[in-house]
Amino acid sequence: MKNYTPIQPDWLSKTLAGIIGGGLLSFSIIGLFAWFGPSGLTASLSDTELLWKTQFNMWLSVPIWLLVMSFTYLFRSGAQAWLCLLSASAAGYGVLAILRGLL
Amino acid sequence: MKVRADILKTYQSLHTWTGITSSLLLFIGFFAGALTMFAPEIDRWATPAAHQMAAIDTDRYDALLDKVLQEYPKASDSVALHFTDAQSPVSWYEQGSPRGLRLDDMRWHATLDDNEQLITELVPVNSLSALLDMLHRTAGIGGEIGHTQAGVFVLGIAAGLYFLALVSGVIFLLPTLVKRFLAVRDQGERKRFWLDGHNLLGIASLPFHVVIAFTVCVFAFHDILYGTLAQIYGDKPLFPRSAPSQVERNIADLPKVSELIALAESHAPGYQVAQIKLSNLNKPSAFATIDVANEGEIARGALNDFIFINPYTLEVVSSSVANPEQTVWARLVSSFFGLHFGSYGGDLVRWAYFLMGIAGACLFYSGNILWLEKRRRKGMQQHRSYRIMGALTVGISLGALTGVAAIFASNKWLTLTPVNINQAYMFVYYACFSCVLISAFVYGPAKTAINALKVLALLCVVVPATSVLAGAVPALNLWTPNSLGTLMIEVMALVFALMFWWMSVCVTRRATANEPGSIWHLETSNAVTSELSIKHS
Repeated sequence: MKNYTPIQPDWLSKTLAGIIGGGLLSFSIIGLFAWFGPSGLTASLSDTELLWKTQFNMWLSVPIWLLVMSFTYLFRSGAQAWLCLLSASAAGYGVLAILRGLL
Repeated sequence: MKVRADILKTYQSLHTWTGITSSLLLFIGFFAGALTMFAPEIDRWATPAAHQMAAIDTDRYDALLDKVLQEYPKASDSVALHFTDAQSPVSWYEQGSPRGLRLDDMRWHATLDDNEQLITELVPVNSLSALLDMLHRTAGIGGEIGHTQAGVFVLGIAAGLYFLALVSGVIFLLPTLVKRFLAVRDQGERKRFWLDGHNLLGIASLPFHVVIAFTVCVFAFHDILYGTLAQIYGDKPLFPRSAPSQVERNIADLPKVSELIALAESHAPGYQVAQIKLSNLNKPSAFATIDVANEGEIARGALNDFIFINPYTLEVVSSSVANPEQTVWARLVSSFFGLHFGSYGGDLVRWAYFLMGIAGACLFYSGNILWLEKRRRKGMQQHRSYRIMGALTVGISLGALTGVAAIFASNKWLTLTPVNINQAYMFVYYACFSCVLISAFVYGPAKTAINALKVLALLCVVVPATSVLAGAVPALNLWTPNSLGTLMIEVMALVFALMFWWMSVCVTRRATANEPGSIWHLETSNAVTSELSIKHS
């Protein structure tokens, strides 16, 4: 007996949501991590630290993006995938903008 | 573990389609990548030992470098001092550079004789390992977008699909994972053997595959990602910027080579200096790159770590060496590179990566076989997609293997001809690749697979056979392996020959089994008579 609503495939819509929405979300997380995580941009970094931290930030964006893309197909529908990913990244960029304004 | 049926179905479709679209590209990337694990050995194997000049003691490098810079002013733009026995003590490029694949690079080798006289020779650079590296990074797809080969982007996208295929494969395997993991059933349905083998290979080497998938995405798209990151950084610079030096440099002020080595050894305790490259020695922008190796650490490069210094002031500009001053970010980034390159733990890890690369190629091939078996209908009538994918699977995978094997088989013989050997490599590879691919469409996968596997076995046997002949008939002017590494290449060629021959026998057996309609089925006179007798009875 099914006691759940089956997920819709919505291949195209979910794939695009994963690529675009997932990319936006990934970089909003990287933004918060780059500015306010350890060795953040608000502190004064040594040349060596900046050199390697920037590379690490770039590297980190890819696994986050790929994981979001992988699990996008779990959303009930394409529309829901877009809604969740876009609002999550909007929240991320919002927090980033507020924090950068404050600090 | 229980997973909802609708999720299983979704991820099974995702696995099927991401897999089938990326597998053949990844096949080439993986087997060529497995071979590049032994790139230095391959280059030594491919060139006559006479091209390499006698090693000298470390304290004679100053005299050697002075003489080179005096007699060959061009060397001051970029000259490399090598400290390993496998290379001439000094080399510099007359034409080209050590990075990327070009077909007409020329390089000077130099050493000192016993009377402190300079000996030099201009040698065309052999590009065999660079060609394998090109296949590894682009799957042989030509063309450029910006300054990057188009194939790099294609493989970057394939690696993204490959990541999705890994995640979805694990998800839809979860319910039966524990029960099935080590069960390779060769009884019952033929598909089951391939399915169990595919699952075992995939799960057993999953961490390796996850690392490769995500690092390839980064390698392919890092420029775009840095561009995006710059938006997030706002007005902060991505990388430290220092004003270019205005100080005029004179080679007479250059510190001694021993001072550079001492600097490297104090900066990187436990490391061996493998090479020092001096660049722009006459210009304010003079710099030196010191390659240092330590098997006990994860290296940032495929073979070494790097120390960038100013050769006049001996100031360390940046370094990837694992020392107490290394930041955690440098350690993490270096480990991402090192985990892709297998540049930690020395030869043991190189062999492990070689085997995992071959296993990866098998994983993708078995995935395609499963896709084909699933689509096969009973009887003779088959989907067009089944026939096309069957031909592509056999044609591309065996075509690439045959191309590479033909290069190895012809390599020593090509040196006897007046052709540019690097152009000959390219011709041999693409000619073999196209022949096998076209044959897979014209003669069908079964016949092509049987014959191509036999040709592959033969080409692999030619590799050690050439050396045996070279030893027996010195007048041929060929050469035999002169180190364990180069000898192992020939031993592995024999191993591959046996494997390909065995595979050919297996495909032949399959082709004569009475399964009309399968791409593997071959109409033999025997099968035809038995079919006829059934009809008549």
